[in-house]
Amino acid sequence: MSVEAQLGESDLPELYRSGRAKAARSKRNRIITYVISAVIVAVVVAYGDWAKIADKYLDVERAGELFPEIITIATKNTLIYTVGAFVGGVTIGLVMAIMKLSSLRPYRWFAITYIEIFRGLPALMTIFLVGFVAPTALGVRFPQVLGVESAGIIALSLVAGAYLAETIRAGIEAVPKGQVEAARSLGMTQGQTLRIVVIPQAFRLVIPPLTNELVLLLKDTALLASLGTTAASVELTKFGKDAFNKDFNGTPFVVAAVMYLLITIPLTQVVAWLERRNKAMR
Amino acid sequence: MTATPASDSGSGSATAGSGSASRSGASATPAIELRGLHKSFGSNHVLKGIDLSVQPRQVMCLIGASGSGKSTLLRCVNRLEEPTSGAVLIDGIDITHPDCDLDLVRRDIGMVFQQFNLFPHLSAIGNVTLAQRKVLGRSDDESRTVAIEMLERVGLSDKADSYPSQLSGGQQQRVAIARALAMNPKMMLFDEATSALDPELVGDVLDVMRQLASEGMTMLVVTHEMGFARRVADHVVFMDQGVVCEQGPPDAVLGSPSTPRLQQFLEKVLEH
Repeated sequence: MSVEAQLGESDLPELYRSGRAKAARSKRNRIITYVISAVIVAVVVAYGDWAKIADKYLDVERAGELFPEIITIATKNTLIYTVGAFVGGVTIGLVMAIMKLSSLRPYRWFAITYIEIFRGLPALMTIFLVGFVAPTALGVRFPQVLGVESAGIIALSLVAGAYLAETIRAGIEAVPKGQVEAARSLGMTQGQTLRIVVIPQAFRLVIPPLTNELVLLLKDTALLASLGTTAASVELTKFGKDAFNKDFNGTPFVVAAVMYLLITIPLTQVVAWLERRNKAMR
Repeated sequence: MTATPASDSGSGSATAGSGSASRSGASATPAIELRGLHKSFGSNHVLKGIDLSVQPRQVMCLIGASGSGKSTLLRCVNRLEEPTSGAVLIDGIDITHPDCDLDLVRRDIGMVFQQFNLFPHLSAIGNVTLAQRKVLGRSDDESRTVAIEMLERVGLSDKADSYPSQLSGGQQQRVAIARALAMNPKMMLFDEATSALDPELVGDVLDVMRQLASEGMTMLVVTHEMGFARRVADHVVFMDQGVVCEQGPPDAVLGSPSTPRLQQFLEKVLEH
């Protein structure tokens, strides 16, 4: 170090000179980026109409009026819709995945048809079909379950099931063939092998994408805002919209958005953690 | 279509095959018998008419270059691989017959794989108890007692609660052997059980296999370990290009090979 410091720039080997030049260049680029960012922030702060923004979107008094219903009803219902659709989706997905891997062609066709239809349709369309078309056309009546509309859970389950079928199928196929051979060589039946050897391992493999689907589902529950709900079965987005409609102040939306983020951000952290752990386990 | 010739030879086993052997005379009936076994993968003809029999309590080693069909042959014995034609007789019964309940057959045939194939989501003892409970219907207590006994037998009773990922390859393979033994199999198949192991771990596994052989277990062993074949086997079979090229007692086969192919093979194996 000290020897190098005493040497002039021209005495340094080419390798060091080139390295120093690159380090200096990247430092300069970093500084430029910081300056530009700071200018943008300064402009926004200086020219934004903060009083109006605060009044229209961050009205503390209006925000306070949303409580406790936004938690005890809206967020609670959103979570019930999410978990209900997730359980339904995993169940449908598992059945469809197994059917798609079946050696019997009709099962495979059924699964493929199901998956293509519900992945191909917009989720909102499925919600309309279940929520509005099925009751009027088929005379089906969907009761309230756990205080929420079962039609919403069913519609989202159908959509999630189609996506999860492919995820779970990939997980099943990723379990090494040797696992099946070991199980069969011990005398386990095909069904036992699937149930107690393959599926537990498949689920372990797909926990990260499964959790990811949970986050997507949570956000998709907002689509249920278009479904006919009662004051007791309302989810978060509809709750925010109803409050907004009273005097067109945006604060309820902001508070509802914060509620979503309070759930989704920790969940995505869990997904990242699970992915790291899965990688480490291999 | 594959089962027709097989079932024919199966039903005629008493007359056609081992002659006087009857089902009651267990000592005269081979534990494993292969008759005219063929196996093709598409256009790749891997086994070209294999006739072999393993007697009860016999240790037979299958040797040969990779691609010679030894592993495929072994996998046909419990029908993990479906023979294209020919018959596989276990204790005198043709298991290629369409009526055969393979799950029942496989209970009695322990198998050890090159890649161990332990269930990674279960601990060592979980691996050893699972099939006991699910297949044999043993109680939790009984399966645990058997499992601990088997893990002791392979020298791993202290690793009962370890997961496969926490065990060395040699330890995993010994758990796999314990898992197979816990089913009280009548015979054991070893498919290159030491090929995936670091050299210093091979010995532990071979020791367990040698112990098993000395206890009188019927064993069919695919191996590259010539020392093991020479010392432990009763009978060595050299396979080449899908046929049995040479067979006999280990000293004869490995000591004074009569075919040039086996001579070449042994030179290559023993060179290093």
